[in-house]
Amino acid sequence: MDSQNKKPFSLKNIYRFTFHSLNSQPKLLIPFLIFAAVEAVFLFFIYVAPRLPFRTVLGPPIRAFWGEGFLHYPANFILLPKLASMSRTFLSVILGSLTTGMAVSMAFEIYNKKAIRLPDILKSTFRRYGPLFIVLLLITAFFYGLAKLAFVSLTKYFMAGHTALLYLKPRIWLGPVLFGINLLIVIFVQAVFIYAIPLLIIAKEKLFKAIIKSFVLFIKLFIPTIILITLPVLFYIPILVLQYNTSYLINNVFPESVLILAFVSIIISSLVVDFLITVSTTFLYLKNKENV
Amino acid sequence: MKKIVSLLVLGCLLLILNGCGQDQYLIEKDYWQVRKQAESIFRNPPGSPPNELERVINQLNKFIQKYPKNILALQAEFNIAGLYIVKQEYDKARQHLNSMISKYNQPEIRSESVFLIGNSYQLQDRWEQALEQYKKIIAEYPLTIRGLDIPVYIAQYYKSKFQPDKMMNAFQEAIAHYSSLAEKYPGSPLAFKSYTLISSCYGAMKNWEEAVKALNTLVEKFKGKVDTDVVLMDIALIYKRELKDTAKAKEALEKLIKEYPKSRLVKTARTLLERP
Repeated sequence: MDSQNKKPFSLKNIYRFTFHSLNSQPKLLIPFLIFAAVEAVFLFFIYVAPRLPFRTVLGPPIRAFWGEGFLHYPANFILLPKLASMSRTFLSVILGSLTTGMAVSMAFEIYNKKAIRLPDILKSTFRRYGPLFIVLLLITAFFYGLAKLAFVSLTKYFMAGHTALLYLKPRIWLGPVLFGINLLIVIFVQAVFIYAIPLLIIAKEKLFKAIIKSFVLFIKLFIPTIILITLPVLFYIPILVLQYNTSYLINNVFPESVLILAFVSIIISSLVVDFLITVSTTFLYLKNKENV
Repeated sequence: MKKIVSLLVLGCLLLILNGCGQDQYLIEKDYWQVRKQAESIFRNPPGSPPNELERVINQLNKFIQKYPKNILALQAEFNIAGLYIVKQEYDKARQHLNSMISKYNQPEIRSESVFLIGNSYQLQDRWEQALEQYKKIIAEYPLTIRGLDIPVYIAQYYKSKFQPDKMMNAFQEAIAHYSSLAEKYPGSPLAFKSYTLISSCYGAMKNWEEAVKALNTLVEKFKGKVDTDVVLMDIALIYKRELKDTAKAKEALEKLIKEYPKSRLVKTARTLLERP
């Protein structure tokens, strides 16, 4: 370890190192490209679900859970962001656990100035697939559990006859405020578990220990962790805002704009947000490890 | 291996091409685009340019010609009539609706067309001609949804125009019409609907005894055939709120609880029984 590495790290340096790594080793983007490609394939099937011959297979579940109306133009575009979000959640757990693990492993190799050998990285990450899967499953479960809790609490509060909370009306609470609460939940849940993956892949920790240590690290590196997660998420907010106004887009732009937005959302979320969060927090973890 | 891949690719292509034929989804897309243009006229009829109506109607006609047997072609037909009506081109609207009556055999479509013809007269303040069309619906299409609604619609018109005598007469005529339908088709869903409409008409006339009587007849005639828990609740509410007869209301609620213990209305019935 040289003396420069032991200096207190700055977020600016972390980001500089992240972009420099991407510039020198574009392979670092491969796991995120794989995820984005699979997500795009899922989105394609969601888009063509109301059309023959795909309707034969994909129509019945849509009809059963959401109704026949969503198999017709342009109502299918109202459901599209919801289905795309569900497919992303599913893929995050099934595939995202592997690709995130690969990305962390690649970042580690770059940090140590070693060559990236994709087959070896895939093999080593695959060996840790079980714990990685559980971590991603926990993140998803916590997020959905807390988001549901927030929604149910607010709904019950207003159903009980209250007309306002902190001077704000139900429409505001269940609209933009709930949107903000959900964003905070995403940031905090991700922050709590963010170091579990480097701990599993780099430090080869056991699952339970990795989760506990991740929480401890999150507390220790609270401010930089929150910033490293929040900054990329900000890129995604315009997309979320537009997705909240799907009906407006359908009626005032054109229905297919919802599909275009969903594709843009894949690019931003997988290639920008996920990349920046995963790689920068891995470098933060490594810097902190060195300094310790 | 190459052969298998080629076969798979060919299979996928065939599946996709199969979906490119008369795909309902693509028809809906076509319709939505035309409908969107029609909407701009519906939203602001006086503000739309004079040639806009002609252009949109041409597009709707093209759609009808392209997909004559599609359900959306019918919607397009009604849109054309609607556009003429909002642009106050009533003669053209009636001409189009009459052509629809000749083109389509289904009573539901015909009754709706006649109703819109009546509406066009009504918008021109020509009530007599409108009434003529509405009576035509009662006589020729009594079993359609519009045919069932129209007698009450006529009475409601007189109510809105503050003509109580005419309104009472219209309700009486409606009751007579529904009674004859109930007698003609006993035990049918139509008879069930007729009794509820009779009760509503008496309700509108504030003749609550007769309203309850019609509902009791319904309960009696449909006992064991259809669930009448909702009707029993209506009876109880009329007794309680309108006739102030708590004993009879209690009787109806107890009957509801006894005969339909699993009904979603049992909880409400118990709450009402507990109240003084």
